[in-house]
Amino acid sequence: MKKQSAENDVVYRSKFEVIEPYLYLLPFFLGVAVFTLYPVVNVVLMSFKQDYSMLTRGFSSWGLGNYVKTLNDPNFWQAIRNTLKYVLLVVPISLALSLVIANFLNQKLKGSAIFQSIFFLPMVTSVTAVGLAWKFMFNNRGVINYLLGLVGVKAIPWLRSAQGGAYNMTALVIFGIWNILPFTIILLLSGLQNIDPQYRIAAKVDAASSLRIFFRITVPLLAPTIFLVCIVNTISCFKVFSELYPLFGGNPGSMGNLYTVVYYIRTSMMQYQDYGVASAAALILFLFIFVFTMLQQGIRKITARRSVRT
Amino acid sequence: MRKLSRVFTYLFLTVTGIIMFFPFFWMFMSAFKTSAEVTASPPVWLPSSFSLVNFQLAFQKAPFLRYFLNSIIVMVSSVTVTTVTSILAAFAFSRLRFPGRQTLFTLLLSMMMLPFEMLIITNYRTVIDLGIYDSMWALVLPFTSSIFYTYILKNFFDTVPDSLYWSARIDGSSNWNYLWKVMVPMARPSLTTVILLNALASWNSFMWPMYVIATDTYRTLPWGLQVFTTEAGSNPEQQMAASTVVVLPMIILFLFARKYIVGGVARGGLKG
Amino acid sequence: MRVVLDHVTKKFDDFTAVSEFSATLEDGELVCLLGPSGCGKSTLLNMLSGILPPTGGQIFFDKDNVTNMPPEKRGVGLVFQNYALYPHMTVLDNICFPLETQHVPKPERIERANEIAKLVHVDTLMQRRPGELSGGQQQRVAIARALVKNPRLLLLDEPLSNLDARLRLEMREEIRRIQQRTKVTAVFVTHDQEEALAISDRVILMKAGVVQQNDLPQRLYDEPCNQFVANFLGNPPINNIPGTVHGHLFFADGTDEGISLPLFQNIADGKRVNLSIRAEAFIPEENGPIPAHVERVFTMGKEELAIMTLGDTEFRAYIDTEVGLVNGQNTRLNVRRRGVFVFDLESGAKLA
Repeated sequence: MKKQSAENDVVYRSKFEVIEPYLYLLPFFLGVAVFTLYPVVNVVLMSFKQDYSMLTRGFSSWGLGNYVKTLNDPNFWQAIRNTLKYVLLVVPISLALSLVIANFLNQKLKGSAIFQSIFFLPMVTSVTAVGLAWKFMFNNRGVINYLLGLVGVKAIPWLRSAQGGAYNMTALVIFGIWNILPFTIILLLSGLQNIDPQYRIAAKVDAASSLRIFFRITVPLLAPTIFLVCIVNTISCFKVFSELYPLFGGNPGSMGNLYTVVYYIRTSMMQYQDYGVASAAALILFLFIFVFTMLQQGIRKITARRSVRT
Repeated sequence: MRKLSRVFTYLFLTVTGIIMFFPFFWMFMSAFKTSAEVTASPPVWLPSSFSLVNFQLAFQKAPFLRYFLNSIIVMVSSVTVTTVTSILAAFAFSRLRFPGRQTLFTLLLSMMMLPFEMLIITNYRTVIDLGIYDSMWALVLPFTSSIFYTYILKNFFDTVPDSLYWSARIDGSSNWNYLWKVMVPMARPSLTTVILLNALASWNSFMWPMYVIATDTYRTLPWGLQVFTTEAGSNPEQQMAASTVVVLPMIILFLFARKYIVGGVARGGLKG
Repeated sequence: MRVVLDHVTKKFDDFTAVSEFSATLEDGELVCLLGPSGCGKSTLLNMLSGILPPTGGQIFFDKDNVTNMPPEKRGVGLVFQNYALYPHMTVLDNICFPLETQHVPKPERIERANEIAKLVHVDTLMQRRPGELSGGQQQRVAIARALVKNPRLLLLDEPLSNLDARLRLEMREEIRRIQQRTKVTAVFVTHDQEEALAISDRVILMKAGVVQQNDLPQRLYDEPCNQFVANFLGNPPINNIPGTVHGHLFFADGTDEGISLPLFQNIADGKRVNLSIRAEAFIPEENGPIPAHVERVFTMGKEELAIMTLGDTEFRAYIDTEVGLVNGQNTRLNVRRRGVFVFDLESGAKLA
């Protein structure tokens, strides 16, 4: 590493080459500066500006007002509760399903390519377009209720529940799992493919059952990937919005009962024109993401160190 | 015993595969059904005829052709520009030397965790201030550079040995010439991945157009589709026909380029 | 082209990679830069190519001072250890690339590429890609690419070390043949002494950025100017027997018997020295000055390699099989004139 940094300064460079890198970076940085860098700074500033005056069209002071307002808003707490519920349901269930599916897909089956294509489709298709199909399927007289009826379940008001919206959430979670599954399977599958097959062969020689191999060999060796999947999925589930929109015709649940954090940000912005509150909520969302990202980095470092040692 | 487990594996994969594919199946079939068939109970599994009448009706009621063209224009221009800016930036970070290179790159990487949902608040205002609200520019300009794709390309560029570069330099090649004559052709697989992932993201993009596009003239497919469903007079079979139009191009793309897309996702995850 | 290096120095931060390097490479000469890894030979090569600007001294190509000239203007050809062929281009395109950047018209490009390809025997592979070639073929293509622009100077950076032993032998003869045919001045960097001695007109042996000896290959072996040079060349490595000189006699450590050789005539009393003898320089002789104890004998056909001890020191000697040495026996040896040296034990300087 040190040698590289020394090399930076010593290899031949013409006068033009001294400014050349900046020319290459300029178009890239224009976009980043205007649409990523500036917005970050601005959103932080906006979250601390308070007392918006309609007269002066400006803010009169700095403070935590927006945060106080956000944290005192029952809708925000509903959004947090719903988001957490969504994360806690979608992440573990999709992980468990994906583990089994990825493990099966990894077994060099005939037709594996066809299975993979089918499993990966939801990843490349528009969430909102497929969401309409799900909405249609979740209809009271839709195909899902019909199929459930065949096994004796009474019609479920998936998207129209008046009582607490438990069914709304269930529908959203089912759609969410279906949607995140391909991504999860791909990550796990590539993790599986990185495991040296000799471990499994060795276990087979020791006459271990395939269930035992799965839990005692595959899963532990896959642990770093599983952690990664958990965290990446948690972060992406925190941002749930596009799944919600088509299911309820653009509303947060059938009774306004399914606010999520991103939905809350949107409503604050577009409906109440309260950019301060939207910014505060966005920063709280970011805080969650930041914590989980740091967790992931930490785990990655630990596993990297461990794999170096072995 | 082994045979049994094999059968079980196939059974499990088939059942879950059917569940995974079912929404697509239902969407495609419903797109061809008549109103009566769509609302029938018990449900009709297959349409009586594969007529395109629902597609025609949907395209009459809402300017889906317009949406489709808009989606293509936005996708092509944003993918083209992003690819060029990413290639240039990745090359600068990987090959060229300037003070603070490493620090700057680390900083950019850390910016990848910023959720777009947070940036939207300001970007929405920026688009209005720039006077490009409700225009094609609003859809393209924010997506002309990408840290994520730059990162993928830089990772590839880093694997190209120094000796190739110096060989080219000694043979009289400029950095510019080396980039386009040697690096870019060599990076074709990574570039394909980047272009495909970017095209997917652009085509399926929903939230941003929803914020900045207010009129039919500039709506792209996913946003236009949502507007269509909430407007009066759209029937489920027509919605499903319109959804099919949104979904099908990417399915076809995926079937042809599965290797690149899956590889790209496995390496870097999806954007956003 | 004649190359003059005048006190060329390269420092990285506080580390000096090449120190005050001065040498002249005559027109048409093939000179080897030889030394262990980290001795500065590659750094020197990179300064000749222009990749690394020197921090001191000057470099001349004939009359031109090229010290600060950019690599692309120097007109050098460079062959890398890993060949550095462009994997996405055919052999023809690879060879044409240097001409393309010089905007040579396409028909001429192809003609020149074909010409040089014939010289290095890759003319039948022109439409293949590097990935479809063997290591030796890739090496030939790399040489063709370096030569196609008629460089003033051909630089080869450890070009043979990625090849297996047999190919290496073949390619080094090839490089010699091609260099002699084109009469291009060439610099060949290697850490392999055998390779250096076999291929070059002259060898410059380096250690820690400093030239140790700049000489004809055979003289480097026959007349090493210090302990390092003597140790670096030769297989098996030269035998070093440490001891002390008293009254023009050499007392090897662990012995009481003084060895009388003409070499010790001019060495001061009490001096600690190494008596360095190449394995092939021993002669068994009934009343020879060197007493030795035979530890083990390995038969190697016409000769035997004997591991012997003198005092505390073990050494190797090639002895004619007719002598019939036996494990465990005591014997006496004399030495030839060639291949025997005395070096200062501390400084490594040559004393005799």
